Amino acid sequence: MKTSLDGYSHLDSPLHRWEPRLKLIGLLALISAFAFVRELYLLPAMLAAALALLLLSRLPVRFVLRRLRYPGIFILALAVILPLFSGETVLLSAGPLALHQEGLLEFLVIAARFAAILAVGIVLFGTAPLLTNIRALRSLGLPSLLTDMMLFTYRYLHELATDLRAMQTAMRLRGFRAVKPDARSLGGLASLSGSLLVRSYERSEHVYRAMTLRGYGREPRAPEDRQITPRDTAALLCTLTAAAAFVAAEVAL
Amino acid sequence: MHLPDGILPVSVLAAGYAATGAVTWYSMRRIGREEDPREGIPKASLLTAAFFVASLIHIPVPPTSVHLILNGLLGVVLGWYAFPAVLVGLFFQAVMFQHGGLTTLGVNAAVIGGPALLAYGIFRLRRLRPASRTLTGVLGFLGGAAGVGITVLLLFALLITTIPAELDAAAERTAIYALVLAHVPLMLIEGVFTAMVVLFLLRVRPELLGEKRRPPEVAVR
Repeated sequence: MKTSLDGYSHLDSPLHRWEPRLKLIGLLALISAFAFVRELYLLPAMLAAALALLLLSRLPVRFVLRRLRYPGIFILALAVILPLFSGETVLLSAGPLALHQEGLLEFLVIAARFAAILAVGIVLFGTAPLLTNIRALRSLGLPSLLTDMMLFTYRYLHELATDLRAMQTAMRLRGFRAVKPDARSLGGLASLSGSLLVRSYERSEHVYRAMTLRGYGREPRAPEDRQITPRDTAALLCTLTAAAAFVAAEVAL
Repeated sequence: MHLPDGILPVSVLAAGYAATGAVTWYSMRRIGREEDPREGIPKASLLTAAFFVASLIHIPVPPTSVHLILNGLLGVVLGWYAFPAVLVGLFFQAVMFQHGGLTTLGVNAAVIGGPALLAYGIFRLRRLRPASRTLTGVLGFLGGAAGVGITVLLLFALLITTIPAELDAAAERTAIYALVLAHVPLMLIEGVFTAMVVLFLLRVRPELLGEKRRPPEVAVR
């Protein structure tokens, strides 16, 4: 389950240099504006904006494509379903199958929105270490319960995945094969999940004690936020203007 | 089993975020009433990570295999932490695997976390007869099955009523019923699985189900 969520956060680009809090505000505003878009004429502009951000971020193309692959399956399914079953104007027909104009247009809008939102999301979380982004979220006012949980969960995710793999290997070595959902297979897998929960629970008790010893629970030192430069603010203004423009265009058209 | 970006109209996305914000706020208030709310955070987070990982376990259902959602079990084990846990888990699935999405985070969290809290409510009926293993198993089954059942119902209702522009209401209802019926086997598997895990935890670590910790056994000589 090894993933390189922020594997390219060390690169240097205008987006990497952008102050994390302002970047979060700006790009999340842009993402929300993209969700508004339904007008066909706005799609090229939206895709161009997303592409420009991707290029500006200098994230490797392969990295971006790999992240688009998995959710692309869902979109492909829609590409089949919508044009065939939704709409009235028939564009093409072959036997019982007919390609409908409304469904096709609907699909284009969904696919474009999907690609643009995902691209901006990848830029947002690919151009800074996750810890920096979580700290930025915290200083923007996300409750500490949520940010603490994010940090912990992220910290132990890979470790527990490794634990799970080791336990699964051990089960296989002892002759466990799950082929159908009968009582034996389900029982084995249930014990596996239960053990995983118990292990993580026990570990969390140790972690909590160790952290209390190191002063967890006291008011944390205020993390030093990066200075906001005029360039950061200008970038934020540009992004917010673009976001507002998309929403305004959508409402006006 | 979550909705990706780009599909839902903005009004639904906003409603999803509003619902998620409200439930998170209420959950945090309930958590804040505990003796030491900080103590729960490492536990809830490691269990969140464990659930995240456990949902990768595949159950063979020939000719294919399914992975479980486990939101019922999550509600049973985490109680009021379940909703923030779902939110955090879905956030990571969205940013790490592009599974789900940032704009749909609110909707997905409401659709998965809401039923998790319901499963917690069902499981708390255990107080009626705390000693009964049968009741614990039955409530585990109900919690697991209801958790995934309601999630599936909400998801398909959302998808079908929002996407295709012109489908008549009767056809929409039929489609929702058909899709939910197709998921009944999954509900049964999830229910049985949840009951099994709950009974396992009751045997091995009852504290995980909210029981008081037993005093350590001291050998008396």
